[in-house]
Amino acid sequence: MELQKEITITVQVNGRPVTAVVAPEESLLEFVRNRAGVTDVKCGCNKGDCGTCTLVLEGQPVKSCLVLAAQANNKEVWTVRGMAADPLMQALQESFATHGAVQCGFCTPGMLVAARSFLAHHQQPDREAIKEALSGNLCRCTGYKKIVDAVAAVAASQASARD
Amino acid sequence: MSSFAYAVPKTKDEALALLNELGPGGRVVAGCTNILPDIRAKKITACTLVDISRLAELKGINVRGEKVTIGSLTTINELLHSEIVANHGQVLWQAGQRFADPLVRNRATIGGNLANASPAADGVVPLLALDARVMVASLAGEREIPVDAFFTGPGKSVLQPNELITGVSFAKTTTMKSAFIKFGLRKAMAISLASIGLVVGLKGDKVDQVRIALGALAPTPLRARQTESYLAGNTLTPAVVARAQEIVRTEVKPISDVRASQEYRLHLTGVLLKRAFEAALA
Repeated sequence: MELQKEITITVQVNGRPVTAVVAPEESLLEFVRNRAGVTDVKCGCNKGDCGTCTLVLEGQPVKSCLVLAAQANNKEVWTVRGMAADPLMQALQESFATHGAVQCGFCTPGMLVAARSFLAHHQQPDREAIKEALSGNLCRCTGYKKIVDAVAAVAASQASARD
Repeated sequence: MSSFAYAVPKTKDEALALLNELGPGGRVVAGCTNILPDIRAKKITACTLVDISRLAELKGINVRGEKVTIGSLTTINELLHSEIVANHGQVLWQAGQRFADPLVRNRATIGGNLANASPAADGVVPLLALDARVMVASLAGEREIPVDAFFTGPGKSVLQPNELITGVSFAKTTTMKSAFIKFGLRKAMAISLASIGLVVGLKGDKVDQVRIALGALAPTPLRARQTESYLAGNTLTPAVVARAQEIVRTEVKPISDVRASQEYRLHLTGVLLKRAFEAALA
């Protein structure tokens, strides 16, 4: 069995294949920012506490600092930038802007990805469920109320669109 | 050049052969939610990362007769979406909801939570309350270890470097009542100050079977055996619960650390026991 010191991987980042040679302990976060140049994914704590590096890996939101780059080989990742044409993401982005849910903005990409994944699978969530869904994402400006307001507004408009 | 190496076995047998060859120089990785922070903090500085995350044979939740079996690669989120776990291993489902946060639950695995051997592990306390067995494989064959005998100290277990956790199994608790309570400093991404998993079966108004598991209150997750034997056959009157609270406080060996003092943890032990019975029987 081959022990690799340098691993050649190809990851679909926002629909574009990116091939690079990575170190064994390199994280998916480092790969996406430094190799793929997709910098809307932010590096905050780099130890899984803050959620600023949240992206979608194989359909699920994950903290990319807690994934080995090599584990994403031949898989698909999506970040906010890659979801620019997605109606749900657009609605969330507009809602964040109109609710003043962006202060310094550093947590925003991770918040948006976590919120989008949650709303895609939950119809008519209450505030508690929204807070729980975003509980892995920290906002050091502590602007949580407006963030939850923004997500709740999109959830409500989704519900009325279905009625 | 990196001090780490990486290998991605395609089958369980390939993984076992590799672990056997590497010995203490090999580290099994799957969800990586513990190991990557440890690498960043330089607690782990050189090893071969044996990535088992692609081994489909270690995934899945099955029920056969009275026994539930969960593959070691099953994520906490997968446990939460399993009707088998919700109906037949309720305390594990309850604990899953308090485990880390929703993003980490998409990666963290039940096998990894066991292997990490934290005294505070929120995935292990419910397994202890379920009286679960850890299934372990090596080139020499397979063995089963009761969760209660698996841990030897903080971060330490009887798992050998050449062994791989393949799953856990436990008897269904379908007709029993359960509760899991975690006391942390915040709701998400908190390491438990103290936690309790309770599984209780009643016959009439008497306790028939009871299993009490405690987290972060001793060097390993702990079964409160003396409290259990006191409660068995008793009716849960306020006086009996009060006596059980006294007994359980003698069974734990909490430490003082950055999260809480020894005295506070001792106080919490009794409080959590009472609250767990209230929650389970509500």
